[in-house]
Amino acid sequence: MKFRTERDGLLEALVTAGRVSAARVGAGLGAQNVRLTLRGDQLEVVGSDPDLVIEVACVVNGEQDGAVLMPSRLATDIIRSFDPGIVSVEANDQEARVISGRAEFVVRTPIGAEITRLAVAESKKITLPAALFAEGLQQVVRAALNDDTRAPQLTGVLMIAVDNGIRLVATDSYRLAFRDLKGVNALEPGSEVLVPARALAEIQRLIGAEGEKEHDAKLVFCHTELDAVFEVHDVCLTTRLLKGPFPDYQRLLPPSYPNMFRVGREELAAAIRRVRLMMRDAKEAATPVRVSFEADGAGLTVLTAESGRADERVDGQFSGEELVVAFNPNYLLDGVEAIRAEIVILEVIDSSKPATIRGEGEDDYRYLLMPVRVS
Amino acid sequence: MEDSPQPVVGRVRPGPAVDATDVLHLDMDSFFVAVEVIADPSLAHRPVVVGGTGPRSVVSSASYEARVYGVASGMPIGEARRRCPGLVVVPGRHAEYEKTSERLVGICREVTPVVEPISIDEAFLDVSGAHQLFGDSLTIATNLRQRVQDELGLACAIGVGRTKLVAKLGSKAAKPRVQPDGFRPGAGVIVVLPADELSFLHAHAVRAVPGIGPATAERLRRIGVTSVGDLALVGRSRLVAMFGVAHGSTLADLAAGRDDRRVVTDRVVRSIGHEQTFDRDDHDLGSLQSKARELAVSVAARCRARRVAARTISVKVRFADFETIDRSRSLDRPVATAAEIAEVAVDLLASLDLARGVRLLGVSVSHLAESDGEQAVQLGLFGPAAPGAPVRGGDVETAADEIRRRFGPDAITSVAAAGRRAARARRRPGREAR
Repeated sequence: MKFRTERDGLLEALVTAGRVSAARVGAGLGAQNVRLTLRGDQLEVVGSDPDLVIEVACVVNGEQDGAVLMPSRLATDIIRSFDPGIVSVEANDQEARVISGRAEFVVRTPIGAEITRLAVAESKKITLPAALFAEGLQQVVRAALNDDTRAPQLTGVLMIAVDNGIRLVATDSYRLAFRDLKGVNALEPGSEVLVPARALAEIQRLIGAEGEKEHDAKLVFCHTELDAVFEVHDVCLTTRLLKGPFPDYQRLLPPSYPNMFRVGREELAAAIRRVRLMMRDAKEAATPVRVSFEADGAGLTVLTAESGRADERVDGQFSGEELVVAFNPNYLLDGVEAIRAEIVILEVIDSSKPATIRGEGEDDYRYLLMPVRVS
Repeated sequence: MEDSPQPVVGRVRPGPAVDATDVLHLDMDSFFVAVEVIADPSLAHRPVVVGGTGPRSVVSSASYEARVYGVASGMPIGEARRRCPGLVVVPGRHAEYEKTSERLVGICREVTPVVEPISIDEAFLDVSGAHQLFGDSLTIATNLRQRVQDELGLACAIGVGRTKLVAKLGSKAAKPRVQPDGFRPGAGVIVVLPADELSFLHAHAVRAVPGIGPATAERLRRIGVTSVGDLALVGRSRLVAMFGVAHGSTLADLAAGRDDRRVVTDRVVRSIGHEQTFDRDDHDLGSLQSKARELAVSVAARCRARRVAARTISVKVRFADFETIDRSRSLDRPVATAAEIAEVAVDLLASLDLARGVRLLGVSVSHLAESDGEQAVQLGLFGPAAPGAPVRGGDVETAADEIRRRFGPDAITSVAAAGRRAARARRRPGREAR
């Protein structure tokens, strides 16, 4: 295999494909490698682990077809270290020679490693508006469970067909977010898929990067019982699907709320970010923020025996009975930051029932969170 | 080993005052036994152990004379007697040891206010502020060791280094050496100078390092790593790939001599645990799980009494053949109820092959967070039955604590634990199930 290309394009491809191995270390030998395959002027860079494959296509000046496996991290670091300009790569079964300017690297091919490929049956491809899909992901992925030791199915985002579109749902059992995407008919009526949040976070990143170049970017999606494939521009991501059952979330939505707080999104978010400073450990759910709702605003208090306390008042309109509800400040902030509207509606029942965050005039998104009980 | 640079294992390094070596680790020699020898001087120079008297009791402290016969802490008394026929077994008097320990800490505090007792017979000292008054670290350590000998009549070993890890390994190296033909006095004080630190560290077997357990050591051995020096040759990224980010980075730091832990005076309790040795080996998962639930009740009550909640829950299992394993799981939020602790402990037990029979079971919690005088419990959306949701048993258990406080420990229990008690009572006729 032999080709020449600009450093920047190759680097971008390596970084994108390499994110598979970066995302999950210890997933097997193949996960630390990328495969480069050249056909004519088409270079394909593939990174994979048993659950996720990212393929990136780019155009280079090909001289001789072929394929080579390279250690992902090393290859990326080498290309990144070069000055912008022409890079040439020449490889055989044993080694890859990478040259730029007066620097020359000979990188041995990893032995005994292979790149996993998920075999995906052909299925119907559907084109979706990438920007809208990414917006939905940005609002929902945050509620998914991060580690998979407790309940693997909660590390996924449920995509489910609804009237004239799809709904994205995620929950880590403490909060839940869902977003309806109207006109995004990605699924057959009545069907649903559970996609790992980790893969969707990559999609979100890829669309974000492409979105800066083009506003009407398209996302191509198809799925089978086991896998889902997403294509954005020159990148193709294949992920295994998770097995359910996903919890029955619909029964959680309270039919009505007696107490409603209407407040500016940025004011509330800024106040939470400030009082949150008193938490010793950002992960510490044991330090809640107490929100006391009053007629013309809300008081936020974080109280710790060790570090001290923080208080802040936020103006807003509250209707209902005055009450105090404690939340994990991170969960609360996640919800507020997911809202697009300038005005946030925070609805509560009491100190032990789920609260809801939504944007004023936005009926397509809900963020539910459970309070922290302080005793 | 005599080639330069010389490792300082086993010898005092008389060096210039180097202010960087400010951490002292003091470790008493055969503490419990030594205290007993003071009370009864006829025990001096004899193979003595302190240990219980039950059929399955173990050695909690052994004199060097006994160690020569292969007697070690944690060994069953029966086994110790087999190895060392003339062994004297003395029952432990913990109140006495604690009194002596307090005096020891008092002596340390006269050297520096920054003393961190880490167990009844071990402490870290930070002497960075003591040089003006008492001289360099070597002088301070030598004098401290002499004072402990003069005032308590007890021997100790002191390691001096730049970090806790090095100081701890230093005190170990300063201990008397046990050989089949007897034991030799140790150096007593060892200073590991920063320049010698890496060669000192690298000469140790990985297994000798606190924090590297048998499972980690075995995985390292499989990739050809037995010494810390070998470990230093393995890249950080590989260690992270093998052991995960947290543990892998810790190992890489350790091999590089990096240890940022400071000596802290107000040492908060790091873990709370209960364990139980059974009169007969238990082979049954269900029975062990209900024992784990009982242990979890005690652990949770102590957590609540101290107003702490724990992020990590561990079970310790010692099999009939004495192999001991620990399994732990960290949660994304601190817990302090028996139900939550038991849930994890029971789950961890289920992942083990218990066919060999279990003689000891322990449940402990660590990564404790203060609950700030109040308990904050993140409520779950799906209630206790849902996957991964927290169990809302806090109120019930706080109430149960109160009932036990007023009416005695057996006044109230959970159904699962009660079932086990009833079964136990059935096995022993004449005792009624409560």
